[in-house]
Amino acid sequence: MRRPYHGRDMSERGLRISSLFAGVGGTEGAPGNSEILKGIDLDVQPGSVHALMGPNGSGKSTLAFSMAGHPSYTVTSGSVTLDGEELIGLAPDKRAKAGLFLSFQYPAAIPGVSVANFIRTARQAVRPDDLTPAKFRALIFEKLDTLDMDAAFLSRYVNDGFSGGEKKRLEMLQLAMLAPKYAILDETDSGLDVDALKAVGKSVNALRASESGKDIGFLIITHYPRILQHIAADHVHILMDGRVVKSGGPELANVIEREGYDKIREEVAASVG
Amino acid sequence: MSASSDVAVRGVSAAALDALVERFGAGSIPEPQRRNALARFEELPARSSVRGGRTWKHDLAKLDLSELVPFASSGDAELDLESLSPAARRAGVTIERFSIARERHRVAFDRAFGAALDPRDDTFASLALAFQNHGTFIDVPAGVAIDDPIVIGYEARDTALFPYTLVSLGAGARATIVERLASVDGDAFACGLAELVLAENAHLTYAVEQRASASARVIATRRARLGANAELDFSLAELGAKHTVSRFRSQQTARGARTGVVAVFFSDGDQHVDIETETVHAAADTTSETIVRSAGIGHGQGRYLGNIKILADAHGADASLRDDALLLSEGAHIDSIPALEIAANDVKAFHGATVGAISDEELFYAESRGIDRAQAERMIALGFFEPAVSRFPTDALRDEIRRALEVKIAREGLGGTA
Repeated sequence: MRRPYHGRDMSERGLRISSLFAGVGGTEGAPGNSEILKGIDLDVQPGSVHALMGPNGSGKSTLAFSMAGHPSYTVTSGSVTLDGEELIGLAPDKRAKAGLFLSFQYPAAIPGVSVANFIRTARQAVRPDDLTPAKFRALIFEKLDTLDMDAAFLSRYVNDGFSGGEKKRLEMLQLAMLAPKYAILDETDSGLDVDALKAVGKSVNALRASESGKDIGFLIITHYPRILQHIAADHVHILMDGRVVKSGGPELANVIEREGYDKIREEVAASVG
Repeated sequence: MSASSDVAVRGVSAAALDALVERFGAGSIPEPQRRNALARFEELPARSSVRGGRTWKHDLAKLDLSELVPFASSGDAELDLESLSPAARRAGVTIERFSIARERHRVAFDRAFGAALDPRDDTFASLALAFQNHGTFIDVPAGVAIDDPIVIGYEARDTALFPYTLVSLGAGARATIVERLASVDGDAFACGLAELVLAENAHLTYAVEQRASASARVIATRRARLGANAELDFSLAELGAKHTVSRFRSQQTARGARTGVVAVFFSDGDQHVDIETETVHAAADTTSETIVRSAGIGHGQGRYLGNIKILADAHGADASLRDDALLLSEGAHIDSIPALEIAANDVKAFHGATVGAISDEELFYAESRGIDRAQAERMIALGFFEPAVSRFPTDALRDEIRRALEVKIAREGLGGTA
C-alpha cells in the first residue's frame, strides 16, 4: 500500500479498493459459487475521474454492487476504504452516508413515492438538516434545469414508467442533489440516445465545476468509450476476467475505440503466456 | 350507555325486532318488509354474494350476534344533520334522517329506496334491512351540482348500529359524499347498507372511511345503480375494526355508464378484512376500472374477491381490475381472487393480481441513497398504497388515510425481513 510523503490524513483520502475478491452469493468471508472479482486494486482520489472499461462479463457491475453493498454480492476478501473508512461490512445506507453514490445501470422503480419526496428523504439521510425546504426546492430546480428536465418530473413516481433516458437523468439528478464524496457511474451511457447522453455529460461537468462537486471522485464503469467523449477521464483502466489488466491515461480509451478489447486480451494472454 | 339492564332480549331475533319497532316505530322501512328481511337473514347462508366465491375461511355463519341489543338505541337521532353542508341545502339538496325520510319526502324516497338493492342476494343486507336503526337520506335534484363534500359520520356502539344510507342523484346532478364510520365503544358492532341511485348523466363521488376501534365488528353492503352515462367514483378505505366484511356492487344498467372503484385495506394485529367488489355491465358501452391495494402486517388476514360481470347485451363494455397485495410480515396472509364473467363478445376486459413482499431491488436502491432499511421499507410500503389513496376525494381524507396507514406500520414495526 502506498504511503505518500504527506501526513496521515491526506494519505487516507481517496476511494481505495485493495485486493478485492468478490462474487455472487455466499457470505462474507466464505465464497459463493462464482468468484468474479479476482483481486482489484484502484485508488480514486478526490476530484479525479477514473474510467473502468471492460467487455461483458468482466466483472464491472459486480465491482459496483460489491462496493455499494448489494446483498446478492459477497466480498470474500480485500477492502474498500472511503477517506480511510472501511466500507466492506457496512449496510448500504451507511456507505452512502460515508459519501459513496452509485448510479445504477438499471435503477429500480418505487411506485407511489414521488421523485421529490425520495430525493428529499435521501438528502436528509446523508446530510441531516442542511437545507430548508425552500432552499431544497431552489436547488433541485437549478439541477433540473441543467439536466433539461421538466418540473413535472418531481411529482412522478421514482422510475415508474420512465424511459431509459429518464431513468439515467434521474440518477444524475440524485447525484447532483446528494453531492457525494465519490460516485460510481455504472454503465450510465447504456440505452441512452445522443441527447440524453449529452445531458448526462453536461450535468456531471456542471457538478464538477461547482463548489459542492469539485472534489467528487468519479469511477465511471463502461463498456463503450463514448461516454468519455462527454466526461473527460484522467485515468483509464481495463478490466478483464475480474482483474485490472491495464491502466493508463485517456489515450487508452482510444485504443479500445479503435481496436476493441481483443487486442488487449491478446497482449495479456501473451504476457501471462 | 347500554340499555341491556332493562331488556331481557338479546341477539338478532324476532323478539328483538318486536322490541325495536315498539320502541322507535318502523320508520321508513315498513314492518312487514323488516320481518321478511329477518326471515331471509335466517334462511340465507352466510356466503359470498359473488358467484363462484368461496365461504370466508373465518366462517361468517359462526359470527356471534347473540349479545347484540339492536333496539337499545336509535343513533339516528344523534345525527347532526343541520351542520351538514348548508350550501347543499341552499341548492335544494335534501339531507334527512333516514327514519323520517319516507314520511317527509315520500316521492323522492320511494323513487330511490330499493332501486339499487336486492336484499335477497345477501344475508347481511337482509340483517341490516331488518334492524335498520340509523341512517341518512340524501337527494340531489336533477341538474344540481354541489362542490363541497357532504360528510356523514356514523358512530357504532356495543349495542349494534344498523345504518342505512340512501343517496339519490337526479339527471345530471353532481355531488361528493364522504361516509365515515367510527366507534365509541370498544366492542362495537355495525351492519350497514348503502344504496346509491344515479339517474342519467349524474356524477357521484362516494368515499368510505372506516376507522372503527380495534375490537369492533363492521359489516357493510353497498349497492349502486347507474343510469345512462352516469358516473360513479367509489372509494373504500377499510382501516379499523377487528372483523370487517365489506361488499360493493355497481349495476350499470344503461348505455355509457362508468364506475371507478378504489379499495384500500391494511390488516394489522389480528385484524380480518374481507372485501368484495363487483362491477356489473348490463348495457352497451359501459366501463369500469377497479384498483385495489391491500397489505398485511403482524397476523393480519385479508381476502379480496373482485368480480367483473359483463352481460350479453353489454356490447363495447370495457372493464379492468388491478389488485395488488403486499405482505409485510410472515404471519400476515391475503387471498386475492379476481374473477371475470363475460357473456358478450365485443368487449375489453382485463384483470391482474399480485401478492408479494417488498422487493429487494427497491430496498437496495433506496438504501444505496442513504435511507436506512426501516425507513426505506416504510416509504416503499406507504408508496405501494399511493396509486389507490391518491384517488380518494379531498386532501383531508387522503391525508387521514395516509396517517392511518403510517400508524399501522409504526405500531407493528418493519425491518423483520432482513
